[in-house]
Amino acid sequence: MVNVLVRSLDIVLPLLVAFSIAAIVLLTIGENPVEILTLMATEAFGNVRRFAATLSASTPLLFTAVATAICFRSGVFNVGVDGAFVLGGLAAIFIAFKLPASLGAGLIPLAFIAAAVTGGFWLWLPGVLLAKYEADEVVSTLMLNFIAAGISGYLVNGPLLSPQSGNNVTPLIHETAELERLMPPSTLHAGFIIGLLCIIAYWIWCRNTPSGFEGAVVGQNPRFARAVGISVPAIIILVMVFSGVIAGFGGASHGLGQMHRFSDGFSPGYGFTGMAVALLARNHPIGILFGAVLFGALASAGTTIQLFSNIPLDLVNIIQGTVMIFAVIEAARLMKNRRRQTHAV
Amino acid sequence: MRALPSPAGLQAVGLRKIYGSVVANRNMSIATQAGSIHAVVGENGAGKSTLMRLLQGVERPDGGEIFVDGVRVDFTNPGDALRHGIGMVHQEFMIAPDLSLLENLVLGEEPVKRSWGPLSWIDWPTARTQGQALADQIGALIDWDQRAANAPVHILQFVEIIRLLRRGCRTLILDEPTAVLAPVQVDELFALLRNLRTQGTALLFISHKIGEVMALADEVTVIRQGETVFHSSVAECTADEISRHIVNGELHHVANDEAPQPQSELLSIASLNARSVNRSHTLHNISLTIGSGEILGIAGVAGNGQNELVECLVGLRPSSGLVTLNGIALSALNPSQRRRHGIAYISADRRHEGLSMQASIETNVVAGSHRTSPISHGGWLNRAAMRKIAKDRLQALDVKYDRPSDPVSTLSGGNQQKLVFAREIATSPQVLIASQPTRGVDLNGIAAIHQLIRDFRDGGGAVLLISEELDELIALSTRVAVIADGTIVGTVKAPASNLPLIGRMMLQGAAA
Repeated sequence: MVNVLVRSLDIVLPLLVAFSIAAIVLLTIGENPVEILTLMATEAFGNVRRFAATLSASTPLLFTAVATAICFRSGVFNVGVDGAFVLGGLAAIFIAFKLPASLGAGLIPLAFIAAAVTGGFWLWLPGVLLAKYEADEVVSTLMLNFIAAGISGYLVNGPLLSPQSGNNVTPLIHETAELERLMPPSTLHAGFIIGLLCIIAYWIWCRNTPSGFEGAVVGQNPRFARAVGISVPAIIILVMVFSGVIAGFGGASHGLGQMHRFSDGFSPGYGFTGMAVALLARNHPIGILFGAVLFGALASAGTTIQLFSNIPLDLVNIIQGTVMIFAVIEAARLMKNRRRQTHAV
Repeated sequence: MRALPSPAGLQAVGLRKIYGSVVANRNMSIATQAGSIHAVVGENGAGKSTLMRLLQGVERPDGGEIFVDGVRVDFTNPGDALRHGIGMVHQEFMIAPDLSLLENLVLGEEPVKRSWGPLSWIDWPTARTQGQALADQIGALIDWDQRAANAPVHILQFVEIIRLLRRGCRTLILDEPTAVLAPVQVDELFALLRNLRTQGTALLFISHKIGEVMALADEVTVIRQGETVFHSSVAECTADEISRHIVNGELHHVANDEAPQPQSELLSIASLNARSVNRSHTLHNISLTIGSGEILGIAGVAGNGQNELVECLVGLRPSSGLVTLNGIALSALNPSQRRRHGIAYISADRRHEGLSMQASIETNVVAGSHRTSPISHGGWLNRAAMRKIAKDRLQALDVKYDRPSDPVSTLSGGNQQKLVFAREIATSPQVLIASQPTRGVDLNGIAAIHQLIRDFRDGGGAVLLISEELDELIALSTRVAVIADGTIVGTVKAPASNLPLIGRMMLQGAAA
């Protein structure tokens, strides 16, 4: 019980600090912080429609946070989830507009499979480089994000460019391939359910599979893992591929449920926001769910708050930025451990 | 124990130190005198290292007082202690391996010719003169131009001592200085310490080897459970008396009982060769056999290839040559496959390899068996079965713990090592590779671990025992092989009666 309290403090403390700073900023510009923050809370959670908008905004983060947590939990500092998300989304969208519409709803599983294969392969590469050649995964995955952006940018401006459109977009997917909207008119779609399933699957994997157990052991102490007979390279490759598959699912969900076509700027940094969520949640599934909803709330409240008050969107950025600082502290802690371990070996 | 501060030397009265809810030191009093060697003995965890940290200014006491030459002092950092003439020789030397011994000697306090800030000029001739004068004074032979990484351990220790003397230390604290030395090196160190004593240096000598205390010290203080429980001049007490105070009860007597005759050959190593990544020590042409019901000891000065040999056998380091277990070749197998064939491994580095310190007791005791029934079945991990197996294993070896979900770091050193045995023996292996199995374990824990090793042998297992404690090797081993510079220089039968031979082989290699 005490453990649960301490753990929830990990995520509550950053929030308290963030909202205090926002309140100070509001005071200095002569606004009533209580009023504005209440307005924000109402905008995010005030009624069913607004809550749906919040969940819709949190959907991509569910995937990217789980994808990040899978790797971080095993001490693999994978920052390439964003690239796998983008390429997975592109692959899913390609299937969903290129294959004949006559396949109907059957397009959806095909699109998800294509996204999973693409994302899984994408992160398998740095996984092998790390496992076999000890190539630093931070560098390789970060660089792969740029390559993913380059590839997708080229494709949507070239071979996959929509004939009806001037620039940067693919054709729209077939309507039968669209994920169902759960609460029209809100954009909340079935991808949110898939995201929840991913969190549950992650949880079960952690607790109830031998490879999940091995992942945790490797993350806690790779030398120990090796000595008791766990293959550390195999675990590294496994978690990288899992991460890529989940990130690919995220891209497919975002593409088929939200965007319905691929355009440049498909991911406004979902991979990195997801990383912050995973860090704040310390890779715990429940924490990931709450963290993703929180960042979704900030995003959805931020866009509407500009409409109803003269508070600029920057307020939301201040809050997000402050929470991010805590995530960065956690990241620094992990990095420190990681270096110590490499030196010990 | 004296009640009043003596006029000279370092004195501590009634020191107390509390970490959170744990009282590390409750009442420690100790006094050193110029020209005297004062030994501090106690089990691991008795509070020796905490006392050292307090005397050295690394930590501040929560109660009690420290005096230097009768004046009360309040150290806030090691620099303070150094300025009062108190220096510490650590177990792990503060040495820059790529610099020469002379450079190491003056590092941080170089003599300068012209003091122009960053443009100062280091006065190497003066440094050499100073170093050599001190070396002559205490009777140490030092090649100042040798690279530190190439120098023998005891020479590094001497340089460390000279460095402290050069900085004006008159009280030296030595933290288990003989732990890393071979017998002949110990003799050299003791001769040097006696010279220091004659010249009026006060020495505080931390040890858990009573033989050394009797041979070297003038006074002895015993620490038990955070208190100084006994103090006497060495001339007026006996080794048994000191032992009794250390453990406060019956000592398990360690002696080599008549081991059963080894049966058939179980593990065979033929022409094993290996390279080491970061040090020059390689293994050359190692051939050994161990029979079932036999304990083969490996003696050697630290860093002569013991760790490499162990890693090759367990499968953590690539090697050439042939290793067979019951006639089955292991050479091409990975650690997991070797374990399945019956190899168990007690790592010398318990904190980093033998255990995963942040992980739970439960995880530590089942790791490696997590893919076998009943813990795993058809790709599913049964947490309840895992908990049960963990509890059974811990109970079988009488490991004392609170909850299985607690981090393993909450256990004492002895219990941690018993946990490692519980994990390794649970799968009924045939060969136990035990590297430094009692390192950092208290006396009662040592007895328990020795018994576990004997039980394993009596059950028909083969044991490869690597230890830097000669006493341990002699007490347990049927035969002792000596390793020096990566080769086996010889194998000694009846090790108890051939101790001097083993010592010579360790230090002089094949020439002995």
